[in-house]
Amino acid sequence: MTMSIRLCKQKISFQVTKIAAIYTTCLLLALIAVFMFSLISGSYQLSLVDSFFSLIQQQPWISDSQATLIIWEFRLPRSLVAIFSGALFALSGTLLQNMTRNPLADPSLVGISQGAALAVVTLTILFPDYIDGWREISAFIGAIAVAGIIQLLRGKGNSLKFILLGVGVAAFISALISTLLTYGKLQSAMSALSWLAGSTNTSNWHDVNALGLACIVLMLLAISQARTMIVISLGDEVAVGLGVNLRKTMLLQLATSVAAAAIATAIVGPLGFIGLLAPHLARKIPHNGPANHLLLSTLVGAILVLSADIIGRTLFAPTQIAAGLVTSLVGAPLFAYLLIKKQF
Amino acid sequence: MKRQQWLGATGISLMCLLLIVALVIHLSIGTKVIFISDILHSFYTYNEDNFDHLIIQELRLPRAMIAICVGACLAVAGALMQGVTRNPLADPSLLGMMTGGALAVVYWSTFVTNASLIWLPVVAAVGALISAIIVWNIAARTHSGITPLSLILSGAAFTAFSGALLAIHHLLDEQTFEEMRTWLVGSLLASNIETLYWCIPWIVVGLIGAIVLAPSVTALSMGEEIATGLGINVRRRKWQLLVCIVILTSAAIALAGPLGFIGLVIPHVVRFIVGADYRWIIPYSILLGAVYLLSIDSLARWLIQPQEIATGLITILMGAPLFIWLVKVKVR
Repeated sequence: MTMSIRLCKQKISFQVTKIAAIYTTCLLLALIAVFMFSLISGSYQLSLVDSFFSLIQQQPWISDSQATLIIWEFRLPRSLVAIFSGALFALSGTLLQNMTRNPLADPSLVGISQGAALAVVTLTILFPDYIDGWREISAFIGAIAVAGIIQLLRGKGNSLKFILLGVGVAAFISALISTLLTYGKLQSAMSALSWLAGSTNTSNWHDVNALGLACIVLMLLAISQARTMIVISLGDEVAVGLGVNLRKTMLLQLATSVAAAAIATAIVGPLGFIGLLAPHLARKIPHNGPANHLLLSTLVGAILVLSADIIGRTLFAPTQIAAGLVTSLVGAPLFAYLLIKKQF
Repeated sequence: MKRQQWLGATGISLMCLLLIVALVIHLSIGTKVIFISDILHSFYTYNEDNFDHLIIQELRLPRAMIAICVGACLAVAGALMQGVTRNPLADPSLLGMMTGGALAVVYWSTFVTNASLIWLPVVAAVGALISAIIVWNIAARTHSGITPLSLILSGAAFTAFSGALLAIHHLLDEQTFEEMRTWLVGSLLASNIETLYWCIPWIVVGLIGAIVLAPSVTALSMGEEIATGLGINVRRRKWQLLVCIVILTSAAIALAGPLGFIGLVIPHVVRFIVGADYRWIIPYSILLGAVYLLSIDSLARWLIQPQEIATGLITILMGAPLFIWLVKVKVR
């Protein structure tokens, strides 16, 4: 059973197959389940009923119930930040893998995350007064600069070269970051350090708004590109032969991918391996077409980061382990598995 | 052949001269500049009451010795790795051995109370060996087999994993974080001379092993078939070389923490000077590695006086551009 939807004189048209609809719904339900679990887990015990009533409170800002305070001030923004940033990293990785036609591409592996990290750390250490308004913008500039440098260095080389260059650039930038951390003021260095581990524990509603907006805009942009994505994955020559403006499309997709990674990095710090794993896990789920795959992998990314966050804050409680560390611990072995399994 | 040997010997003596110059510069610069005459006096007529003599003998000379040993070890380890894997991008730090060794040392120094320095190189060696085997196995199981790309990617995965383990360990145990922080960036500052005494035997064994095995590395670098054809038991020789590399790397880790990219930079420069014969590459790497790390360390102490930059950061900042250039030129 398939359902075709055509809008705006067939400019926007897509098919929804039964299987795709079922699996997407299942994943969405799973995300909601993890989300509820995230709301009730933590050092302050809350029951599901309590948290539900706190959620539907009419005016949560003036309530004096402790449960409402905890939900609205801490757990809700934190969970939402985890969900949105996971979705953004997954989006970035999916686009990047499709574009480079390399199953191992990941924003943290090719230097994009590090570029954003360098920009933010520089800002934190050298100009601590400007950190609030300029964080996202500087992260984006840093990320795009590094991506541009790697593209320039690569020249006409293949995607393999892109990754190796990314490894080199990433090492260089990490050393610069360490230098800044060692010689900056202790207080700003510590705040930069906790951000670098990739943590969600300082999230507030401002972060949620920024991430949510970015998520919607970039998601729409990416889905509008979905049709050319499938053509590009067949090879550059084929894509040009089928009438794709390769230069323009690539530029747009790269910009979308960099923007997604940069904004997510600016707020939660460099979370490793999500952009790599989410597209692969999503590929295991039955889907139809790249738009559906994009949707699935953002859902998977959101579930991954949210689960990592839950594990990080409950496993060694009261010590909180940053979500970025958990994703690295889980992601690195899976990455090794992919290395063995996939042809690259 | 005669002419080549003569040239090689001249080169070696030139390198020795360079090493002495680098050593003198390293000894004389610092917060207090000490002139060469005073340095010589501190060797011949050592006077305990003279402040300059104390600085030279107690502070700067041990540090210079450590720099020389670590530079030599890492350069030779890198040269051997590049020869055996036939991979121009091989380096102990890129293949995860450094972080593996460092992780072992950090775990060991937390869980073993009143740890003795004797075991430090051994612990680092075990960690480095295990990580080398893991990285090698992952790379070997990929579709393309052992290639520069697969080795570096599996090294990157391993580095990320052990890096996360280290970070979690630091979170749970702040005291070791304080103790280990400078050591983990790769610094000659925190190292002390006593560790050097326990590492010297390892370094000597490793370097002699490298020199003895050098001819077969030349054969291996031409390909396994050719090496087998020349009568080398490839499997056994590779194990011997791996042990050699691990010994050298772990001695360097025990002395200075994870210093990146030295093993990558030096062999390329050396190969540019003397060609592809490992009988010459190894001794040149020893000398040039020592000169290089001495100069880097001088730079690290001189650049932002009176503070100093961690040496490991400068080695990465110098080495990473070379790595990028190599990728650009050597990888099609």
